[in-house]
Amino acid sequence: MSVGAPHVQGGIGQSIRRKEDARFIRGKGNYIDDVKMPGMLYLDITRSPYAHAKITAIRTERALKVPGVLAVITGKDLEAAGLAWMPTLMSDKQMVLPTDTVMYQAQEVAAVVADSRYAAADGAAAVEVDYEPLPVVTNPFKALEPGAPVIRTDRKEQSNHIWHWETGDKAGTDQLLTSSPVRVAQDLYIPRIHVSSMETCGCVAHLDSISGRFTIYMTTQAPHAIRTVLALVAGLPEQNIRVISPDIGGGFGGKVPVYPGYVLAAVAAIKTGHPVKWIEDRSENLQADSFARDYHIHAEVGATSDGKVTALKVKTLADHGYTDAAANPSKFPAGLFHIITGSYPFSKAFVEVDAAYTNKPPGGIAYRCSFRVTEAVYTIERMMDILAHRLKIDPA
Amino acid sequence: MAAAARPVSPAASLTSPGGTLVHVRVTVNGQPVVAEVEPRTLLVHFLREVLGLTGTHIGCDTTNCGACTVHLDGKPVKSCTVLAVQTDGRDVRTVEGLEVGGKLSPIQEAFVECHGLQCGFCTPGMMMTATALLARNPNPTEDEVRDAIRGNLCRCTGYVNIVKAIQLAGQKMQTTAAGAGGKP
Repeated sequence: MSVGAPHVQGGIGQSIRRKEDARFIRGKGNYIDDVKMPGMLYLDITRSPYAHAKITAIRTERALKVPGVLAVITGKDLEAAGLAWMPTLMSDKQMVLPTDTVMYQAQEVAAVVADSRYAAADGAAAVEVDYEPLPVVTNPFKALEPGAPVIRTDRKEQSNHIWHWETGDKAGTDQLLTSSPVRVAQDLYIPRIHVSSMETCGCVAHLDSISGRFTIYMTTQAPHAIRTVLALVAGLPEQNIRVISPDIGGGFGGKVPVYPGYVLAAVAAIKTGHPVKWIEDRSENLQADSFARDYHIHAEVGATSDGKVTALKVKTLADHGYTDAAANPSKFPAGLFHIITGSYPFSKAFVEVDAAYTNKPPGGIAYRCSFRVTEAVYTIERMMDILAHRLKIDPA
Repeated sequence: MAAAARPVSPAASLTSPGGTLVHVRVTVNGQPVVAEVEPRTLLVHFLREVLGLTGTHIGCDTTNCGACTVHLDGKPVKSCTVLAVQTDGRDVRTVEGLEVGGKLSPIQEAFVECHGLQCGFCTPGMMMTATALLARNPNPTEDEVRDAIRGNLCRCTGYVNIVKAIQLAGQKMQTTAAGAGGKP
């Protein structure tokens, strides 16, 4: 059998052999950690043990004494170059490295560049950071209470409320719900999930100092978005940046965001003139990479006593972590959540979503392209089941 | 052909300047190699970075996911939790050793035929675990296959086709064995 050779088959109803299998089954794929360049350096990251804390000091002397360690990058270094913050994929910003405050556990605090993978890890463990713990807010309802500690003190609005979005006819929906013979209401929590692709995130960044062209191999699902963000952050013209996505060991939406590690590898490559590889390990991936869902939903459905739906009202609180880094296909901040009326003939509907900051990593990625469709579909179908049980009719 | 032991240089990416190095002699995919490694070097890093055998993948660093599964003296082990020095004098087989003389192994053929892979990241480890299963049980039931691969995760969740592929590979091996009148 010749794998990968052209097959005389095709057309509707015919299975087509995949071209990539020929290399994958031989262990000859080209995933990000397989990329190797001459003179390549390695980057590892020191992370915060606190979910919310002031950084009072970062001492890099011990790390710099580790054999093989070449440089340590801190938030102050990046701030001097205007690189401490970068844009998210929504209209918010996120830290590359903090200059004074960490806002979630396992947040990046410093980056260590070394000539070996093991030396970089030794160096990252040797960076000494002094913290002054601050009150932690992990519950979005508590985050919006008066007197709650404000997480994003960098914003003009000294509040944990990010945005409010609503659609539909509020007064009409309330009126119809009140007059409906049957009403069911339910609180639903769709918890945070991590997509946990088999391959973690990482990249190899390289600046050709002669041509000025910057190349980055990375496990990204969104090379064009990454190129734009890199251009904005690094101040390089977009046409001088090439983003190469080799074989990807699963993405599921988790490889759409721009993570600080990518930018740190880019900075290190520009600073040292060497290619720099950054590969996160699984515990970093699970703690610090972006999450999906985290919607607290209250839904109410009105119906006639013979089971005809009348009105739908939904109030949702979205926990976005410390920044709004959601991946959305439209201008709507809650993605495609407005499809929540589903296939049901509601005469009136009203849907509102409020978003809050908490001391967690960014949320809102589109796990398996959900764009809040999963949250919406689960809610409406659950409400239909609850209504059917109340009316003692078959939910199907 | 008896091959001479191939001496390999310590990988710059895995050694600290001035660190202690330990001598290791190991047979990998039938080829004897000798190397100097740091005592803490993981087998998976030794295979990937010293020998350039990048088919063995790192998924979790914690023995959970099975992406790094290789054979050590014929038994599947998770190479992220084995030290390179522990393989001294022993025999290691990786995914790159499945294809012999330009001929794919039945498990490789079956994974392609059954669409037993999607992103391909878990595939090498999955095939190594399956190969070890079929060596001791060439005709496993679905339950036996699922039990054997319980330490190998596929996040594309393509388990149904993986199970089919492993069972097909078992049938292929038996057919080959019957046709050749002996062991495959």
